[in-house]
Amino acid sequence: MVLLAAPFDRARPATLPVPWRAGLQIAVAALAVVLAGLALETRGGGSGSIGRTLAGAAVHAGLLGLGWVLIAGGRSGWSRPVLRLAALVVAASLVSRLSAWGPLAYLAVPVAVWAEASGRVEFAGAGLAWPTLRAAALGLAGGAFLGIHLLITSSLTFGYLVRIDAAGAYWAAVAYDVGISALTAEWLFRGALFSTTWRAWAFAPAVGFSTALAVLRYVLDPTLPAAPEVWLGAALYTGLLGVAACALRAWSQSLLPGYLATLIFFLAYRALGH
Amino acid sequence: MIRAHLLRWRPRPPAHAGRAEAGGEASESGDPGERERATERTPRRLPSGAASQLDPSHRSGVLVPQVALLAVIAMAIAYVRTGPGSILRHLYVIPTLWAALAGGRTGGAAIGLLAGLLQAPVVLPAVERLGLTSQTVDGLISLAAPVAIGWAVGRLVDQARERAHRLRAVLEVQQALSHEAPLEARLNLAAERIRALLGAERVGVVLGSETGDRLVAGGPGPMVLDQRSAASWTLSTAQAVEVSDLSTDPRLGRAGRPASRPVRGLTLALDAGSGPLGVLAVERLGELPAGIRAAAEEIARHLALGIENVRLTLRQRRFTGELEDKVAAATVRLRELDQAKTEFLSVVAHELRTPLTALQGFSELLIERSLPPERTSRFLRHIHGEAERLGRIVTELLDLSRIEAGRGLDLKHEEVDLAELVERNIDLFAAEHRGHRFEWVPPAALPSLSADPDAIDRMLKNLLSNAVKYSPRGGRVAVAARPALDRPGMLELSVEDDGVGISAKDLPRIFDRYVRVPNPETAAARGLGLGLCMVQALAEAHGGSVEVESLPGKGSRFRLLLPSH
Repeated sequence: MVLLAAPFDRARPATLPVPWRAGLQIAVAALAVVLAGLALETRGGGSGSIGRTLAGAAVHAGLLGLGWVLIAGGRSGWSRPVLRLAALVVAASLVSRLSAWGPLAYLAVPVAVWAEASGRVEFAGAGLAWPTLRAAALGLAGGAFLGIHLLITSSLTFGYLVRIDAAGAYWAAVAYDVGISALTAEWLFRGALFSTTWRAWAFAPAVGFSTALAVLRYVLDPTLPAAPEVWLGAALYTGLLGVAACALRAWSQSLLPGYLATLIFFLAYRALGH
Repeated sequence: MIRAHLLRWRPRPPAHAGRAEAGGEASESGDPGERERATERTPRRLPSGAASQLDPSHRSGVLVPQVALLAVIAMAIAYVRTGPGSILRHLYVIPTLWAALAGGRTGGAAIGLLAGLLQAPVVLPAVERLGLTSQTVDGLISLAAPVAIGWAVGRLVDQARERAHRLRAVLEVQQALSHEAPLEARLNLAAERIRALLGAERVGVVLGSETGDRLVAGGPGPMVLDQRSAASWTLSTAQAVEVSDLSTDPRLGRAGRPASRPVRGLTLALDAGSGPLGVLAVERLGELPAGIRAAAEEIARHLALGIENVRLTLRQRRFTGELEDKVAAATVRLRELDQAKTEFLSVVAHELRTPLTALQGFSELLIERSLPPERTSRFLRHIHGEAERLGRIVTELLDLSRIEAGRGLDLKHEEVDLAELVERNIDLFAAEHRGHRFEWVPPAALPSLSADPDAIDRMLKNLLSNAVKYSPRGGRVAVAARPALDRPGMLELSVEDDGVGISAKDLPRIFDRYVRVPNPETAAARGLGLGLCMVQALAEAHGGSVEVESLPGKGSRFRLLLPSH
């Protein structure tokens, strides 16, 4: 029993230090690339498109990197895998623009994240484990419920149509969600923030904190249509999704059920057209 | 959520049985990371308390009928198409209340939220279409009400159950402590009950002071106490320690593999009002909410009182046992004394009758017959001898009476020539008991002795008489007098024989009154059982003492110690 057998040093702090320095380095680097991308975008034309893509990729690479250093607790050796993943995100984003099959490149990102993180001891507490079928099914069911609810409510309330105009664009968006959007959200907000804060705080504040930041991330997303009902809806659904994903992560000890819930929800969301 | 689990607790087999089966040695280690990995390998076989609390399947097992009822109500409302003002919407309160009663505030709020979400596709389009009318506001209230109702009712249910549960916890701990078993076994049982009640992974109970002996109980797994541990710190300071995650808390110096769920830790001092008498340590996977902590604190208080009561009870029983032993020993001693007195009276009667018979017989002969002078003279000497013997017996009885009454013996102190006194008695006894060998080597020089010569004479006669009585014919009786080497200022007079000896169990009581140690070899020896008692009384009256060394079958050595002047 740890409380009886392990030496206890009262003078030490009760929680692990927050890796501010590594986080700041990643944030500054990501910001620099975003600014460079936005600068490129102002030129317009082909380079403008590349600049926008670069800026978006930098944001997601930054989120992945922040999640990495948070989970690793600022231990040394974080820069190489983070740079590799960032490079892959940028590359996948650029490749996705090359052809109709390009978005499939996004699918390499979850595989790379898994390959980079799964063998590391410090990532054992982040939820990198296979869930039970039951947990996965529950995640799918939760995401499907919220997705269908979104479709019904928004179509009945605001007259949004449930349709897929272009299958290619739809599946490209789905691939983006699978490889980038949902992945970074699950990785950072549940894998890093929730898992870390839950070690220091009680369940409810940890869920509230990580979900609030996740809601902020979606509401501030520049690709979100600028309409009050959309912001309200985004806050409501990503909030519910966040709480559900945290509960699933806590129960199943895996990020995958929450990831599946998010994916299914966005599968429905992408089918919503004006 | 946690409280709801707490309320649904049912006794279950110890977790370590399943863990040992599933996780092997790793799961028995104190490392939460190891335990966590073991849990990950066999998630369904481990009855983990925290897992149950955060277990949606556990919750859904409770909430499935409520969800089904919600679905039925939603379909009914959709079917009748009556809009946001449908009277049927009030039916959502039923599954919400049901869930709150079954699953507490988490269940109530979850089903209430689901009810609200199910109403949204009906209410929100009306709000968008009609704006905020009384009907749509009513609909919005109906949309939000189930969550509020479910949470509020569930909270009340949780609080009520928590109180009941705490009471039950206290009773179970008291029951565990009141079992008829050694203290460690009672503590182990109490720790197991507490572990189940709090849904904890491990519970340890440490008893003892900061520096003294400590008793460690609890489980599952080995319970080893380190002097630098959090539990020891609590024991020395009486302050609680709360650890958010045992696998990563830097204060515990454990920079190992973090568990996928936090393992909370809590140590509480067991204090019954007179300082910490121990520590209660709890390790719990997942959450340690305020309700569980409060329950742990209450249990710790009652545990401390219970332990104090157990200790008092055990001490009282020990005292009672000791008292019973003493009473039994005293009863035996009283019986022995009673028996000895009875025997004494019999012996006294016999000892008195013998000289009286002789006196009576010889005096009758002298009265009734005319005897020649030499026979008359011989009979008169017999009468004189028996009268002297009678006088000695009466003197001893009178002295004994004085001792028993607590009055001191009248002693006259004068210079005593010990060597001359010993020689005189040796000659006397050698003449009377020709079958024994008497050894006496006069010392070169003896310090002067100021004592009552009659008393010294009586003591020596008693010791010589015993030596002769309890040694066989031809036995050796050695007398010695010298300064006591081990007692400065004391003179030693010893009488040693090679007779039957005295057993170790009889030695402590040979100086008691009326005591005659039974021995088949010396059954014929006469005596009142007063000789050694008198020797001791006289020695102590002189400021000295008497000691004995004896081995059964080898002989005895009595050592009279008197202060020299």
